[in-house]
Amino acid sequence: MFKKAAFLVLLVIPFMACDKNEDDQVQQNTPVRIDFLHSFNEDAVDFSNFNTIQYTNGFGTSLSITRLRYLISQVSFTNQEGIKTLVKDYKLVDLSQDNSLAINDILLPPGAYNLKMRFGFTEATNTSSIYPDLNAASWNVPENLGGGYHYMQLEGRFLDPGDTPDEPFLYAYHTISAVQNPGPENTREDTSIEIDLGEITITQGATQINVNMHIDQWFENPNLWNLSELNGMLMGNYTAQKMMQENGQNVFSLASNMSD
Amino acid sequence: MIQKILFIFCLLYITLSCGEDDNQNQGYSPTPVNIAVPAVFSQLLPAPEIPANNPLTQEGIALGRALFYEKNLSADNTLSCAGCHRPNQGFSDQRRYSIGIDGIAGFRNSMPIVNIAWNTNNKFNWDGSANSLEEQVLEPVINEIEMHNTWPNVEQTLQTDPRYVTAFSNAFGTSTISQELVAKALAQFIRTLVSGNAKFDNYLLGQATLTPLEEQGLAVFLDENRGDCFHCHGSPSNPLWTDNDFHNNGLDENFTDLGLGDITGDPAQFGLFKSPSLRNLAYTAPYMHDGRFQTLEQVIDHYSEGLVFSPTIDPLMKTVAQGGVQLTPQDKAALKAFLLSLSDHSLANNPAYQNPN
Repeated sequence: MFKKAAFLVLLVIPFMACDKNEDDQVQQNTPVRIDFLHSFNEDAVDFSNFNTIQYTNGFGTSLSITRLRYLISQVSFTNQEGIKTLVKDYKLVDLSQDNSLAINDILLPPGAYNLKMRFGFTEATNTSSIYPDLNAASWNVPENLGGGYHYMQLEGRFLDPGDTPDEPFLYAYHTISAVQNPGPENTREDTSIEIDLGEITITQGATQINVNMHIDQWFENPNLWNLSELNGMLMGNYTAQKMMQENGQNVFSLASNMSD
Repeated sequence: MIQKILFIFCLLYITLSCGEDDNQNQGYSPTPVNIAVPAVFSQLLPAPEIPANNPLTQEGIALGRALFYEKNLSADNTLSCAGCHRPNQGFSDQRRYSIGIDGIAGFRNSMPIVNIAWNTNNKFNWDGSANSLEEQVLEPVINEIEMHNTWPNVEQTLQTDPRYVTAFSNAFGTSTISQELVAKALAQFIRTLVSGNAKFDNYLLGQATLTPLEEQGLAVFLDENRGDCFHCHGSPSNPLWTDNDFHNNGLDENFTDLGLGDITGDPAQFGLFKSPSLRNLAYTAPYMHDGRFQTLEQVIDHYSEGLVFSPTIDPLMKTVAQGGVQLTPQDKAALKAFLLSLSDHSLANNPAYQNPN
């Protein structure tokens, strides 16, 4: 009993001693949450919309989505003094997993920031096998295709104009580092994409930032994508990977910035 | 400040009022245990997922092991978990369908239960019908074509056995046996069933050499234009050799078994089944969720020439229009050789997995 009472007294002391710092901390940092949203031609897309051929891309092909996973890395906020805070090294977004659709463990002082992130890994960070959670998610790229990790797996079914819906074709739009000479002597080229989302204002209280992926853009800007010709086995297709990188430049944007 | 002082007083009250229970639990001190993680797993995979409310203990694992081989879990005392998850068969069953206590066959092949501690999506069974291992182990006991028992009967049976009364007390601090504690003990033991000592593991560690044929097979496995096996079945970077996800791999035009779709009710998930690990294929025939293929050659032929279209077929089965990836005989032989290098020949004889009863 004496030991327990002494323990509780000791417990009280740090509570009292920490009062001032704790209050300062509450004033300095405020929670920030980044949600990843998705759309196709302005229609919101989530897992409940998957598997139905209901979207039309810029080429005029009707398509469904059966899987969408992608990797975001180097999520950073840079304040007006130029001080950069890296809040997430990488994140695998998987639309079939609700708990993967947000980064919600960010604490930052209120103020104005520039928000940047990257689609995929840079060459320096795209090292084979070094991320255990991504290994377990089978997110790897085989060494003969350059190694490292996928950037995106967008998969589904499609119908060309005039096709019957009985037996749609399949597509697997996978983005990775572009690789030349697939095989043991391959050479790899960084095709990750910097996403500059511009200025964000973080105010006291919870701030939510919505980042939207315009899925339709992967198929049309600037390269109009013909799924009948480019629907699978794209990982080792250097030209296709470069085209994907070009199309990815305008895929992400800020949807809204809500504070309460 | 007043709130904090009140909080401390509340803590004091709770601490003092718990004193009596502390005395009652004085004899309960299970020994924490960590899973023996293979070197390749340590290098490449996250730590195993152990639920906070069911930590591994020496006593819990020992109890779970006894229960795994306990035929009294079944209604007529003839069938244990090991009856359909046999250590010498990769903790699977070489019969196409396991036979329950009433002589009735099931309708799926027994799924291997190794490396479950790395089942990262927490969906268990071919159809994802269980959301935790503790939940999964409950069902076979009461399944009418498996053990056909009731949990009250199991609890009563075990409660009359002094060995189990002592074992539960040592493992969980109570001599009252419940289905929840049976499930916890079984789950603890099953989480220790780890397979990571195949030739290919040793190759990754620099302690073995692949034959030229095995190397060719690995190349087929990792070639998007040939095997393209890696998207669903792991790679040298994912030594689980499964993505733990659900796919329709082009087996049937029409489904007699809806798989994941039977659980979710979602037509888009009809005919999807969990990717099994490719470990221990030397022991786990027959293959596929329904054990339709007796040999690895038949499995490879399926992906090479036997794919059929159905509305939910996985887009990764991209060559379905041609019937499959059209492997050459040489590619097929190489792929088989590589796949067999993933078999862990030490698994069946691991002393920690044997029947203790």
